[in-house]
Amino acid sequence: MSNFLQVLIDGILSGLLYALVAAGLSLMWGVMNVINFAHGEFLMVAMYICYWIGAILGIDPLFSWVAAGIFLFILGCLTYKVIIKNSLGKAAMAPLLATFGLSMLLKNFCMNRFTPNFRLLSGTIMEGKTFTVGGAVISLPQLVTAIFALIVLLALVWLVSRTRLGWAIQATAMDKEAAELMGIDTENIYLLVFGLSGACVGVAGGLMTTYLAVHPEVGSLFSLIAFVIVALGGFGSIKGALLAAILIGLVESFAGFYIAAVVKYVAVFAIYLIVILVRPKGLFGW
Amino acid sequence: MRLNKRFGFMATLVLCAVMMAGSAAVAAEKVIKIGVLFPLTGTAAVAGQNCVNAVLAAADVINKKNPDIKAPLAAQEGILGGYKIVIVKADHQGKPDVAKSEAERLYNQEKVFAIIGCYNSSATKPASAVAERAKKIFMCGCSSSAALTERGYKYFFRHAPTDAIESEEFVQYIQYLNKEKKAGIKTLGVIYENTEFGKHAAEEAHKAASKAGLKIVADVPFNNGATNLNSEVQTLKAANPDAVFGAALGGDYSLWVRTMKQVGWLPKISLNYCTGYQNPAVQKELGRDGDYFMGGMGYSPALAKQFMPEAIKIEKKYYTPRSNQPFDSDSIQEGVMLFVLAQAIEKAGSLDTEKIVKILQTEEFPSAMSLSGNVKFNPGGQNAKALSVITQIKNQSYGTVFPLKYKAVEPVFPMTPWAKR
Repeated sequence: MSNFLQVLIDGILSGLLYALVAAGLSLMWGVMNVINFAHGEFLMVAMYICYWIGAILGIDPLFSWVAAGIFLFILGCLTYKVIIKNSLGKAAMAPLLATFGLSMLLKNFCMNRFTPNFRLLSGTIMEGKTFTVGGAVISLPQLVTAIFALIVLLALVWLVSRTRLGWAIQATAMDKEAAELMGIDTENIYLLVFGLSGACVGVAGGLMTTYLAVHPEVGSLFSLIAFVIVALGGFGSIKGALLAAILIGLVESFAGFYIAAVVKYVAVFAIYLIVILVRPKGLFGW
Repeated sequence: MRLNKRFGFMATLVLCAVMMAGSAAVAAEKVIKIGVLFPLTGTAAVAGQNCVNAVLAAADVINKKNPDIKAPLAAQEGILGGYKIVIVKADHQGKPDVAKSEAERLYNQEKVFAIIGCYNSSATKPASAVAERAKKIFMCGCSSSAALTERGYKYFFRHAPTDAIESEEFVQYIQYLNKEKKAGIKTLGVIYENTEFGKHAAEEAHKAASKAGLKIVADVPFNNGATNLNSEVQTLKAANPDAVFGAALGGDYSLWVRTMKQVGWLPKISLNYCTGYQNPAVQKELGRDGDYFMGGMGYSPALAKQFMPEAIKIEKKYYTPRSNQPFDSDSIQEGVMLFVLAQAIEKAGSLDTEKIVKILQTEEFPSAMSLSGNVKFNPGGQNAKALSVITQIKNQSYGTVFPLKYKAVEPVFPMTPWAKR
């Protein structure tokens, strides 16, 4: 029984983290039909920010995640202004290739400046702290990260569904021209969406520094899983991303323990393929 | 008069051009290009960069006069009467297909004389196959898959002990502990990355364990670069083996250790193949969490102090300024291979590949950076003098615990539980 509970909790905690990483990507993809290939590298940058703030200034990631969120919001906005805006409406693959180039730039910049060394913050407030519930061991850093992820996601859901700004985002996603005719500044909406996407992954990356080593390749698999979650949950749907991410987290966890650890990603991608075949727009897509 | 002056000026120009072209040609001929093919990006990039730096350090010893270093070729400048070694770097990113194409590029376009590489056994395999087809020399330092020297290759030479040798040594150590310390180790778990290296290490672990009567209760492969190792560690914890053999590189090793700490589980003893255990950069990040794990090593600063003092000189002079850390067990072996190749070239007196291969196959080479002091290759390319010891890490210091001839510290057994650290 304790094994089952452990696997269940691990799956939910992983899923919530995946959800926060994927939420921004979902929003961007849903509103602008743009795939940000540099999403994993945004996560990496956020982790480096919190690592260096911790290593040099001694500020715990429990607090410095705010800086990562703000920095990545700005980076997201800059990415839109400098790269995406100039490639939208041009060749179909232009934004995709542009963000691919950005991902290579960010990865190689960090490789060059910080070396490929794995960097792990030690002496953090939550380091190594765990507690037991019904025989299952829960890691405090992962639990706190998951709780923060849930709060940010719920805030994002509220923003998109209950505020005028959120309705403007949805309107832009549904029909850009019609939204402009209604007086919505779609340019600012796009800018904000990129910024929010960056902020979400910035918060996720910042908090992950409490328990995960940062290195230039850290974002790769997270990015791939985020793409799967967005496609599974539905483009543009934060709720869909949340539910899909928890599903992915649980599938990964249960398949990894009850079948074999090495097939956990096989199971994840298999579930994705099955859902897409049955419902191509995903579980909750716009 | 004017015609004579103009003629003289033109003749001088032509003469200068010919002399410059001639000296450039002479200069170009006085280099031996050696390719180094390692993972300079990707999850093993830390180790790859260290390997390159070790080869660069060896090249510096060979190319410059080093009267203070008592190592072959150190006292002279270059080889073959003034030839300098020029290193050409290439990155295989940890991918076998890239390793193959980079090996082809190095031999065909860069025209390197030989390649030293590739750290990852999964990359060494295809890259050395390219070398064999091209009848070019391939020197391998630390890739440990036994299969590499079971192919009957003529042009492939490997320094490191194989996973088969290390597995036997790990089991011998367990048998020693059971006999002398009443350790009661009966069950074994194996956790390994799902690659050529990891799978082969696991196979050798199974063979060695079954010969010794150890029961394998957990066999846990994982995908390297995974976002978490929760399922893997849960599987180990559920099986609760007395001993665990690990084959996890770099960041995966630190993730595995931290995840075991998170779930509050440790085996009585953990022995690790050529992995993140041996990497000082990984151990620095783990801090005290890395303590009491064990692994096979051909080098540690403590061993070098006692058995390889010239290696320390080379390390201080040429390696540490590049890497900001001492040699590690993997990278030093790549440096050794350049020394061995250079000695073979010097003995051959030429760059005749077949002559040099014959020398590599038959001669014994003194090696200041090898624990055994010498390198000699068996048919198939395996170093018959390969030697590794088992060390235990404590406070980022590797202490040798086995074989008894090299023992320097008393091991902490069983591993101190997380709650008591």
